[in-house]
Amino acid sequence: MSKHTLHLAQAQLHGLVSDLLAAGTAVIAPAADGEDRVEYTRLASPAALSLDARPLSPLKGFLFPRSEPLFSYEQRGKDVTLHPVSAEFSPRVVLGALPCDAGGLAVMDAVMGWDYRDEPWFGRRAATTILSIVCPHADDSCFCSAVGLHADSPRGADLLLVPVDGGFQVQVHSDKGAAFVDQHAARFAEQPAGSAEQARAFRQRCRDRVQGNLDLDPPAMRSWIESSFAHSLWSEIALACHGCGACTMVCPTCHCFDIVDEQEGVGRGTRRRNWDGCQYELFTLHGGGHNPRPDQGARYRQRISHKFAIYPDRFDELLCTGCGRCVRDCPAGIDLLEILDRVQALAEPPTDELLRAAPGGAS
Amino acid sequence: MKALRDKARELLELGEVQVVIGYGQGRRGVRPIFVTRPQDCEQLVFDPRCVQNLASYLNPRRAHVKRLGRPAVVVKGCDCRAVAGLIRESQIARGDVVLLGVRCGGVVVHPHGPAELTADTVAPRCQGCDIREPQLPDELLGELPPPPPEAPGIAERVAALDALPVDERMAFWKAQFSRCIRCYACRQACPLCYCARCIADFTQPRWIDSSAHARGNTAWNHTRAMHLAGRCAGCSECERACPQGIPLTLLNEKLAQVGREQFEHRVGDDPDVPAPVGDFRKGDAEEFIV
Repeated sequence: MSKHTLHLAQAQLHGLVSDLLAAGTAVIAPAADGEDRVEYTRLASPAALSLDARPLSPLKGFLFPRSEPLFSYEQRGKDVTLHPVSAEFSPRVVLGALPCDAGGLAVMDAVMGWDYRDEPWFGRRAATTILSIVCPHADDSCFCSAVGLHADSPRGADLLLVPVDGGFQVQVHSDKGAAFVDQHAARFAEQPAGSAEQARAFRQRCRDRVQGNLDLDPPAMRSWIESSFAHSLWSEIALACHGCGACTMVCPTCHCFDIVDEQEGVGRGTRRRNWDGCQYELFTLHGGGHNPRPDQGARYRQRISHKFAIYPDRFDELLCTGCGRCVRDCPAGIDLLEILDRVQALAEPPTDELLRAAPGGAS
Repeated sequence: MKALRDKARELLELGEVQVVIGYGQGRRGVRPIFVTRPQDCEQLVFDPRCVQNLASYLNPRRAHVKRLGRPAVVVKGCDCRAVAGLIRESQIARGDVVLLGVRCGGVVVHPHGPAELTADTVAPRCQGCDIREPQLPDELLGELPPPPPEAPGIAERVAALDALPVDERMAFWKAQFSRCIRCYACRQACPLCYCARCIADFTQPRWIDSSAHARGNTAWNHTRAMHLAGRCAGCSECERACPQGIPLTLLNEKLAQVGREQFEHRVGDDPDVPAPVGDFRKGDAEEFIV
């Protein structure tokens, strides 16, 4: 991998998008819709690009669609014919991915390639080049710095853009990124004088913005969660929960799905994979009527456990990138930062409690 | 609000209720809290950020809330309509709950925003509110604040949509529903969506495709709206819960208008007034039957 740093002038940004669109490459970037909602959007033209707001939804839907056809089927008498969907994925470029969203894709690679290699996921991953941008948007729901990322993390990115005077510093972080800058060499330039210092200062400012929001000790939390299945915390924090599952849907790392066969007329239909989530009663309801997660407390425990104990145990990764969407979007005001703070406090009992608990300690 | 805290404390101390479901200050704005100890009643607040409809926690689907015991619930007028709906439809009995009503001057859109009510911050549903002093509660607390500041309401937006040609209106809703991810947050947050098994969750037969495609999304959003016709309390919790920002209150308001025009029915907080869907009168307009 050629590790180098370049400059993309602001005036070249739209030209770069135009080049890509002209070559038939899909460009996915934050853009505002008619109601000023900024979302990652497949751009029709460079003018729609909007890099100055945080997209409301994560990037994951472009690699793991909310409803994905797996194959269609036809039945005639006893004969069933299957028609696979195309396994070809055309090239795409994501421009302006937030580090928490690009990082989420890297986190999901582990489960998608675990006991079964998910072809649509890796097919799209291979076809997608990701240009992350250092994030200046941190608000009081963000905590990427507490879960192993940061506002300027290049995780999951092929190129990292850092806003500087007159454009962006561009850092190459993968072979795919190097190939991209080679292919579009005319749009990139050498770094102007002073640019490196500006980029460093910008990155530090963005890091400072989120750094103070939350501080975690993930191994300590994990061991507390693993030994606290029956703790009253779970039902207490779930009291306000509506079980609406919005937190799972807007999460850049939640990846649970349901498989359904949809009838489309007599004797034919499509098997689809649809997003699902652990906060729904139906998610674990057995055919015989038993539900091993009988109430919202059990479901909320599952959400926290999966993210901060089960996934780390299996893949040595937290299943959370600190994007804050579950906090912003919860209609009941359930605040993951508060919950993690409480878990953290329980995981690290005050010193005098430790002494009391120690054999031969103070009584 | 001192009167609210005092009353809540008294109810808990006397053992008349085991939990007070009210509003408390969180790290980010106001959110629902569940107070079970008299000394914690100091945490209760009421101001224009108290947006959430706490009647949702009386919904029989909330087994984990029910386990706490008999509740007292802090309710605004619009929330009382939802409580009345649950009583009307035999989901709870009036005596199951103590209602701590608060006189209301309107709420803001975001419970984590500023508490100041202005034309920019006021929730659209508060325009033309006719239930700022509800009748259903056991207690009615606080002074009546001035009416909410004037701003465009939901009815204006419905009128603007109604003025569009049918194909443009259809295009509007197609675009809105195309964003639906079928999380059912609208249903879960609704105080009156209490079915033990929602029609959207049936698999044999599958009445409504669960996939987030045009067919499934259209069927789901129409069904949700129609099942709330003449019942919807107008609390806007469905729209607030929607992570995709679909303006569901426009559908609810349109159907409420039909209820008013066709059946002279206005959803209120009197549980003894039947909803059109559960009532037949010889004079009912029937032009919707084709």
